[in-house]
Amino acid sequence: MSSDSTGALPREGGPVSRVRAALLQKRTRPGEHAYTVLRWGGAGLFAAVVVALLISIAASSSQALAHSGVGFLWSGTWNPAAGEYGAGILVVGTLLTTAVAMVIVVPIGLGTAAFLSELAPGWLAGPLSTLIGLLAAVPSIVVGLWGLIVLTPIFANQVEPFLASMPLLGWLFRGEAYGPSILLASVVLAVMTLPTMVALSRTALAAVPVADREAALALGATRWQAVRKAVIPAARSGIQAAVTLAVGRAMGESIAVAMVIGNRPALPTSLTAPGATLGSAIVNQFAEASPGLGASSVIALGAVLLLLTVAVNAGGQALLRSGGGHRAGTAGALR
Amino acid sequence: MITRPSARGWKNTLVGLSALALVSVIAACGSTSGGGSTPSGSATATPSPCGSNTVLSATCDTETQASVTLTGAGANSIEPFFETVFYEYNQKNSRTTVNYSPAGSSVGVSDIQQATVNFGDSEIPMTSSQLSAATGGTVLQIPVDLGGVAISYNVPGAPANLKLDGPTLAGIFDGSITNWDSPLIATVSGVSNLPNLAIKPVHRADASGPGYDLEQYLIDTAPAWVTAIGTSTPSRTWPLATVGIGEQLNTGVATYVSQTSGSVGFVEYGYALQNGFVNAAILDAAGAYVAPTEASIALAGAQAANLSSTNFNVVNETGAGVYPLANFSWTLVYQKQSDTTTAIALGKLLDWVVTTGQQDAAALGYSPLPANVASLAQKTILEIEGSTGTPLFSS
Amino acid sequence: MSVASAVSRRELVRAAAQRSLTRRRINGRIAQALCAVAAVASVAPLVALLYYTISRGAQVLSWGFLVNAPTPPGIPGGGISTAITGSAEIVGLALVIAIPIALLAALFLFERSGRLAAALRFSADVLTGVPSIIIGIFAYALLVLPLHAFSDLAAAFALAVLMLPIMIRADEEAMRTIALDLWEAGIALGARRGRVARSVVLRGALPDLVTGNLLAIARAVGETAPLLFTLATPVAAMTLLIYTDGTQAFPIAQETAWGTALVLLAFVLLLSVAAKIAAWRISRRAR
Repeated sequence: MSSDSTGALPREGGPVSRVRAALLQKRTRPGEHAYTVLRWGGAGLFAAVVVALLISIAASSSQALAHSGVGFLWSGTWNPAAGEYGAGILVVGTLLTTAVAMVIVVPIGLGTAAFLSELAPGWLAGPLSTLIGLLAAVPSIVVGLWGLIVLTPIFANQVEPFLASMPLLGWLFRGEAYGPSILLASVVLAVMTLPTMVALSRTALAAVPVADREAALALGATRWQAVRKAVIPAARSGIQAAVTLAVGRAMGESIAVAMVIGNRPALPTSLTAPGATLGSAIVNQFAEASPGLGASSVIALGAVLLLLTVAVNAGGQALLRSGGGHRAGTAGALR
Repeated sequence: MITRPSARGWKNTLVGLSALALVSVIAACGSTSGGGSTPSGSATATPSPCGSNTVLSATCDTETQASVTLTGAGANSIEPFFETVFYEYNQKNSRTTVNYSPAGSSVGVSDIQQATVNFGDSEIPMTSSQLSAATGGTVLQIPVDLGGVAISYNVPGAPANLKLDGPTLAGIFDGSITNWDSPLIATVSGVSNLPNLAIKPVHRADASGPGYDLEQYLIDTAPAWVTAIGTSTPSRTWPLATVGIGEQLNTGVATYVSQTSGSVGFVEYGYALQNGFVNAAILDAAGAYVAPTEASIALAGAQAANLSSTNFNVVNETGAGVYPLANFSWTLVYQKQSDTTTAIALGKLLDWVVTTGQQDAAALGYSPLPANVASLAQKTILEIEGSTGTPLFSS
Repeated sequence: MSVASAVSRRELVRAAAQRSLTRRRINGRIAQALCAVAAVASVAPLVALLYYTISRGAQVLSWGFLVNAPTPPGIPGGGISTAITGSAEIVGLALVIAIPIALLAALFLFERSGRLAAALRFSADVLTGVPSIIIGIFAYALLVLPLHAFSDLAAAFALAVLMLPIMIRADEEAMRTIALDLWEAGIALGARRGRVARSVVLRGALPDLVTGNLLAIARAVGETAPLLFTLATPVAAMTLLIYTDGTQAFPIAQETAWGTALVLLAFVLLLSVAAKIAAWRISRRAR
């Protein structure tokens, strides 16, 4: 693949690039007008929706922000009954649950994708990936109910005490085992975002040209080394998109999280303590969505979540750009 | 590789998909979806004892002439009662269908404020500021049922109807009492062999009527609670969310209590009855410990001598055998209805609910409305106006 | 160098290479085993969920369940037909809105570089993180409040807004990974951009476009929050019915919720399989 992570088409030097530049003349060639209009129309409609959403969120949350000031973003008290609206604790909860969920999802998702794409026999890979894709369709309410009814007792009675008793890591899981907790919410989030990670990573891995793999094998790599050193790096941008979508889903999930996180707006003292996220607070407060401070604070939470997503996305992209914008693996040399 | 691709396959799929979409749209429009499909007005105008169709009485409440579908939204706690009673009504009068969405009292209030439903329902009447925000004019508030809040607990080895009072409950829910074998609980309940089990209090994470009631009770009886929450006005949102666990709706709390030993939470009594919960006996204003039953809740409602939408509190009433945690549920409708046919259906439905419909209440964990409250309800229904702006009904 | 030392050096090198190969092979085997374990771990939650859903919902499943209109809990003979048709209608409408816009926007991003495209791509990434409940409130403010009525259109709009950023990103990734060279070749041969896009990019990337879009569709079909704000009654859509019935006190209502969940899963499975088959046949013809 000759694309980098930002632009449409590459910009190397040399005679090839001049041909490319000629191909990419910006002026519309005859007969392309309708298509160009369509493209711009589609992009424009999407941009209009984004702008309308942003304006709607900003307008609706202005009352809450005026009431609490900018401190809304990091103020540590979320107590709507007392009229105190501060999103700080909720931001911590959101970041914590997303991070733990990604710690679970990224290795398992990538490993599954590698299995499906490279290592599994053909008759197995197709049906298996359809099945995993089916998990994406399970309504969040069903996952939440299942988490509440099935997972909560297991976590309260077996999993959490067991984790707390582990020699070194037990410290992370100390405290009274209620069941609903940051950990349980992270596991539920992991279940919900796994299909996205697997499906998109698998697409990315499968799209790496056979030549890359063969080149690695020809150089003496074992099958796994070819996958690890040649295929996965070549699929970097696709895997990045998968992680981005998974993170986005995890940060924004509301109903399922609210059912299994315990809804305690306080700084969690351990992973097995109950907590609260922006999404769960929104779902608990949404009923107060009548005009007024209550409704405005709900939407202000949405605005905070949006800002958080922006920050996480920007940070992730910057990280990846500095880590390796150039192409690794055998494919890079050939392009 | 750029062969001339077959366009047929591409177009075939497009045609197939759009045909599928078209068919499903047609099918959906054809099936019943909101609003009756039969034309309004009966085929033959048989002379009925109900005069001009606007008489409210036991027989005439089920006589309407047009097919109407009513939509309502509101309290989660009244849901078992409403579902049953609306179905019963539909059996007697198939022309009126009701769809009720039990998303919570606050949703009921905001939906009626925005006039997106025919009626709302709330466990707490609307405040004056909420009433002034209603876009369709004056809102009538009609008491339609009487329910109670059970304090349910799951403690293996504990007796049924454990005696608890305000300060003890406050201690449990503010985190100062952390174990079931605490001497404070032993003193109040008289049971000294409760197990050494951590208390796991569970409250409503969303806004709730039961939470409001419990808060009112704790404010009335436990000064420590007032100090802890810093106010003496109850609110629908639970004030001490940093203690214990919060769950959604009555079923969320009920599920947690039923599966977690050591837990204690508050649910609408109807839900506690359905789940076979063990409920605490709460200290009432007369000094006795009363468990929630249909009878003790009815007694609480009977104390409501001057009930109105501004004087609606029946928590911690004085009287023998009165259950301290009870409340009425209030249905919200606009006084001025823009469509007379809908108004007739609505008025007759509500009148039936507060009279004949109350027979369904007891089996579901609610209590029938006391006589004075039922007549208040009926009086309020008589204030409904049709599109002409004059009161519509007569009794 | 003496012959003996040359031979011994060769032996040393061979032994080292052999050790390296063995080590790399063992590492490889361990890694492959771990990947297989990961795959099992991925399927396990689905199996557990399916098992639980079937055990709760199977007893209500019947032909009548699918075709009858709902009745209150405890009354026999009820079904979820209105919810099924409602969901189909709403999702169908949402797809009609979202798929063309997503494809066109993805083509836009695919062909352009520069700050505008980068900004659009970034906002799509960010938008995937907006909670569905906020999108529901947005649709409520835009389409329900002004008209003073809940509607299927508002619900479809909310779902479309939910799906759009996911589809756009997934579509663009699919186009980029599959069809970049083909696109260049097509342009180089002088074909018009629209022609190239239609016949080469879309057709070539179709299976992966379908995969990415199916993910978005599956997610939208399973969403409850946007529907809470835009639909009048619980029986208008399956997920809303699951939410309302699943949180009721009556056990029969809860069984209905799980039965509805099963129907929903079957719905999505059929959709996935049908779409995949269609994509496979189209791309096969292109060869």
